[in-house]
Amino acid sequence: MRARPYLLAGAALLVATLSLWVGPSLSGAAGDFVLLQLRLPRLLVGALVGATLGISGAAFQAVFNNALATPSTVGTTAGATLGALLVLAFDASGGPFGVSLLTVAAFAGALFTTLLVSGLSASGRLSKNDVLLAGIAVTLAASALASGVQFASDARALVAAAQWSLGQLPQVGYRGVFLIAPFATTTLLGLLALGRPLQNLAMGEDLAQTQGVDVARLRFWVLLVASLGVAACVAWCGPIAFVGLIVPNLIRMLVGSSLRSLLPLSFLGGAAFLVVCDAVARVVLPGRELPVGVITAALGAPALVFLVSRAHRE
Amino acid sequence: MLLRLENIVVTRRGRALLDGVSLALEPGQLLALLGPNGAGKTTLLRVALGLLSPESGQAWLGERPLSGMSTRERAACVAWLPQHSASAEALRAVDVVASARYRFDEPFARAESAARAALSRVGVAAVAERALATLSGGERQRVALAGLLAQDAPILLVDEPANHLDPAQQIDVYRLLGELWQQGRSVVCVTHDVNLLRHLGAPNDVRVAGVANGKLAFECAFSDPRLAPELGALFGVQMRELTLGDARVLLPEPRA
Repeated sequence: MRARPYLLAGAALLVATLSLWVGPSLSGAAGDFVLLQLRLPRLLVGALVGATLGISGAAFQAVFNNALATPSTVGTTAGATLGALLVLAFDASGGPFGVSLLTVAAFAGALFTTLLVSGLSASGRLSKNDVLLAGIAVTLAASALASGVQFASDARALVAAAQWSLGQLPQVGYRGVFLIAPFATTTLLGLLALGRPLQNLAMGEDLAQTQGVDVARLRFWVLLVASLGVAACVAWCGPIAFVGLIVPNLIRMLVGSSLRSLLPLSFLGGAAFLVVCDAVARVVLPGRELPVGVITAALGAPALVFLVSRAHRE
Repeated sequence: MLLRLENIVVTRRGRALLDGVSLALEPGQLLALLGPNGAGKTTLLRVALGLLSPESGQAWLGERPLSGMSTRERAACVAWLPQHSASAEALRAVDVVASARYRFDEPFARAESAARAALSRVGVAAVAERALATLSGGERQRVALAGLLAQDAPILLVDEPANHLDPAQQIDVYRLLGELWQQGRSVVCVTHDVNLLRHLGAPNDVRVAGVANGKLAFECAFSDPRLAPELGALFGVQMRELTLGDARVLLPEPRA
């Protein structure tokens, strides 16, 4: 049991690295370009995004003491979608520092909804279920606005919106890596630092409070720190479903729910899961690439059903 | 450390849960809070823990008002054994106890070794690695007591510590609690069952306070002859006092 976390971590790293060689062979003149400018940056972005979604999912499930919480529970994804759709609908272009306006708008939307919900949670008067409800309400409101925007846009914008909302990892070069890495690192380090007080929440918020944890403040910081990374990921790649839900739950079944192993392993496991899904997405249809969001959902949904049925048998 | 509640008033939706309660817990004292369901016993503990701020009145820890202390400072003074705790079924016992050490700014390894020491102190060292889900009710309550011990606060507030336990486990829990008290901690113990108090070890030093309708109904020593009639009035029953060997037992009977 003691060695299991290390075995899992090693396996995750190995699988992620091996996926570099999944796909058409790398021989020939273009081989180096494909490996270094297409596959490697794609793998790195996939790993960063999967890792961020994985550890954020684990942290949110601890904050809300609810195995069904996800990184989008507080409205992050819905806010990003709204921002992206606005840019697509108005056909706006440009953007600062060579980053597309779409990415900037998605990031701003994600941060706006997140700040709204985490600001509410900091008041301390709300229970964790109130915060969950606020997250759902903000998600619904943002989705409604997004539908309104879609209704008003033309066919080209609709197709672009549908593509964006499936999530994608293809890239050329390392811009995405450099953009996401600082946010992902903040999320990783921040959440690892908050692991101790988060663990106290498992026995109930009131008991944690009497053990010295300032629950409202903890909640605020976890939501903020996690959402920062998630917002960056969603802004760059679009929403990628199921990683933040499924990975922490799978890891919990393998190593138990102690956050000391659950948080770092959800980070590594999320990276491996998304990279593998992306490798599958590259090769499953010859000559065409599926959006990775389709694969995570296709693999994640049955796994979730399996988990739920197992939980009922126990 | 002295815990003092002054004229505490708590209302919820127009109903007074606590209606001007004053109470003091001297260092080294054990105060048993008795009263019918809904009398306000648990609310009183929640005020003393800082989980609930009263509409009026003030709670004090020593010379400091509770409302002016940080959660960590409070955790250093008062530890709580709740009546119901969220069940973190998949967590190991040692993780649960180690998390009670949060108030200490210490490396995890030290928290874990303190947790193991606390578990062995309450006689369940063997279950340290097991998940809570696999423990019996009595073992769980001992793990919770180990958490109380690991937090290492001078004041313990325990809420129905023997609920849902079989008689042997009830006696066990009260004996353990009695030992913690005799080592110098101050204890407030909420209970329905006055007869369990004699297992605390020094029944004559136990004080009993009755709570009804958000008010303090009476306060006396456990050995006081007034206890039986006061408790009878509190619960609305006829309380008969029996002596069995060296034990005094209070037996509730319907009113004539």
